[in-house]
Amino acid sequence: MDLQPIHPEPTSFIKKYLFTTDHKVIAKQFLWTGFIFLFIGGVLAMWIRWQWGFPNEPVPAILGGGLLHESDGIIGPSTYASVFTQHGLIMIFFAITPALIGAFGNFCIPLMIGARDMAFPKLNMFSYWTFVISCLLVLASFFPDMGGAAAGWTTYPPLSTNVGTPGWGQTLMVLAIFVTGTATIMGSVNYVTTVIRLRAPGMTYMRMPGTVWGLWLTAILNVLFVPVLAAGALLLVFDRVFGTEFYIAGANGNGDPILFQHLFWIFGHPEVYILILPAWGIMTDLMSFFSRKPAFWFKGSVYAMIAVTIVSAVVYGHHMFLTGMNPLLGHTFMLLTLIISVPAEMLFLNWLHTMWHGSIRLTVPMLFALGAVFVFGLGGLTGIYLGTISTDIYLHDTMFVVGHFHFTMAAATFLGTFAAVYLWYPKMFGRKMNVRLGKTHFWGSVVFITLLFGGQMLVGYAGQQRRLWDPFQYTFLEHLRDLNLWTTYAAFLLGIFQIPFVINFIGSMWKGPKAEANPWELGTLEWTLPSPPPNYNFKEIPTVYRGPHEYNNPEVKAVLGRDWVGQSEVLPDAKIESDENRPSAPGSDQAAE
Amino acid sequence: MAASVLMDPPLNDAKPVVLVHPNQQAERTTSFVGMVIFLGSWAVMFAALFFSFGLHRSAAAEWPPPGVQPLPLLLPGINTVFILLSSVFLHCAVRASRRANTTRFCQWMAGTLVLGIGFLASQIHVWTGLWESGLTLRSAGFGSYFYLLTVFHAVHVVVGLALLLWVTLHQIRQTKTVKQPSRIRLASMFWHFVGVVWVLTFVIVYAL
Repeated sequence: MDLQPIHPEPTSFIKKYLFTTDHKVIAKQFLWTGFIFLFIGGVLAMWIRWQWGFPNEPVPAILGGGLLHESDGIIGPSTYASVFTQHGLIMIFFAITPALIGAFGNFCIPLMIGARDMAFPKLNMFSYWTFVISCLLVLASFFPDMGGAAAGWTTYPPLSTNVGTPGWGQTLMVLAIFVTGTATIMGSVNYVTTVIRLRAPGMTYMRMPGTVWGLWLTAILNVLFVPVLAAGALLLVFDRVFGTEFYIAGANGNGDPILFQHLFWIFGHPEVYILILPAWGIMTDLMSFFSRKPAFWFKGSVYAMIAVTIVSAVVYGHHMFLTGMNPLLGHTFMLLTLIISVPAEMLFLNWLHTMWHGSIRLTVPMLFALGAVFVFGLGGLTGIYLGTISTDIYLHDTMFVVGHFHFTMAAATFLGTFAAVYLWYPKMFGRKMNVRLGKTHFWGSVVFITLLFGGQMLVGYAGQQRRLWDPFQYTFLEHLRDLNLWTTYAAFLLGIFQIPFVINFIGSMWKGPKAEANPWELGTLEWTLPSPPPNYNFKEIPTVYRGPHEYNNPEVKAVLGRDWVGQSEVLPDAKIESDENRPSAPGSDQAAE
Repeated sequence: MAASVLMDPPLNDAKPVVLVHPNQQAERTTSFVGMVIFLGSWAVMFAALFFSFGLHRSAAAEWPPPGVQPLPLLLPGINTVFILLSSVFLHCAVRASRRANTTRFCQWMAGTLVLGIGFLASQIHVWTGLWESGLTLRSAGFGSYFYLLTVFHAVHVVVGLALLLWVTLHQIRQTKTVKQPSRIRLASMFWHFVGVVWVLTFVIVYAL
């Protein structure tokens, strides 16, 4: 079919590990970079929580208080502004995006559709190294004289113009967003093309695993909307560096700060789905994989994801209800926003139905997927309050918003990412992770992530504004001191419970038991390959005969004696008469467990 | 899509035409699909810039804003003709390359490049003229948008010219790699895209 030559494996270190075109190595590069920034973003988050739990007390050394030595470890108001700004931007663009989309998009798409590599392997490499440049820009933005980026993750002008945040910190950060945007576009063009062109024979769109669907739709959204962010960021950089007046209004210029909000949210709302769609896809697959049942109405889940993808483009105005928007427009956006919960709900019910009457295996990836379903449910439901104008007027700009988007964008995507890490770790590194450490990591994460973001929602509902340096300066928030303190403890415990993961992730690379080709007994194509796969993936491009979720098929059980069958597997006697071989009684087959 | 390229007929030329192997065909289609997606993405970037301009303009009480001269139309109009003509020339060049007629290809391509460079030269002339007449980056918001849209487009013209030059040099050196036909096609797609963006810029920024 396609021209996919087998390249000899590179031997030099540079070609093999640095400037590699192998999608599996690039995936690992993205994963490592994402984890490094996840750590940086996590430490910043701890600082924010410290400030709310223990206002004006010096940050202890264990949380990196030594980095604040100029102020004796105390987080001052301006430092605080930069801390939460950098936390948000780093987590979204430099932690989740590379870890979930960069790493698993690269790793899963070619393997799961039966391709030897991405459609454009070199472009893939450029995408990663462009991303590295943007990471360096982020790191550089910490250090300029007048402080780092401090205009909030949304980077609204006039706060983000030279008037609000003078100095190079903000400029470098916005530039980093622009550069990472171009890296994302490169990667996404690659993903979209790969799925369109390099599917193995027989891999129809509806036979693609949900993971690939999620990643593909994400890539489509990226291709369409990241350029809008890039344009918005570019204009902001021009305003800051060349003195143009796109956003600067009033005495200083003839621009319009609201324009930035339009550009930002035209991108920014799809971005929410950009981050969650891969997790949805992974969850759709995992529900079926570990319930040992075909996914309930898989086509429906796919249609739901497509519907969300389309509708996500026309709801962005709900971020701007309070910008003096025309009420008719506001109501339109409200209606569209509420409509988007219908396909999301469809997806949710499909997951529950998939598990219903399944023989559920509570493996670590399944646990994380279940956790992701749970926190996403919480996040999704509270989104309805924010999408409705009347309640949004009250809840706007409070910690309730923060809790909501952390449930969806942080909790659900990170639990989804961890599910993916635990699931594909044996394929990526050829070794298995420790189950006990994994389960410890899971329970710690899901309990404290719920308490942490739940606490944020509660204080928000009680009226605490977001981004307050010291909320308790206001007497009406004084009574929330304890709630904030307990939420802070939950945050620290969440951080502590990531230690088992770090030990597990790094330790298993050397100490973990060697993984066989198919440790989870799954049917998708990557599990037909040895762990880790050779650099060309498939010696022969496989032919696909069935969908990704063929579990507990009675015919397969009769013929193969197991409850799963590979997508490219040929049954030994395909002409078998199903009536004769049907198991005589439900209890008589022992293949399932 | 694949079929239409396969059927490029070996027309009445002296040089024999080697039929493309199906695998090469597949790769050409893949690169074509990739380019379409990329240009779609980039088109959204320009759309966002035009959207910003439209928002700015719709908020303005009068247009052009007080104190700003109306933009010249003659030279940009000629530029539009340049760009359109260069796309036609490029189309002829691509057809010549499909017939493996390198001489014709180079002739048409030279025409395209000259028109492109001419476009840039007259753009620079327009910019310097306007700058001297007082349209700076901070002229009632209009200057910002004017220079943004035209300079950002001009950057793409430069990239497009570089791409065209690159494929032309490959063709002259007769490096008969598998990829040359798709290189030519991709570069020409980019150039047509840049042309379309200019026509939009002309209509939206200058004419309206």
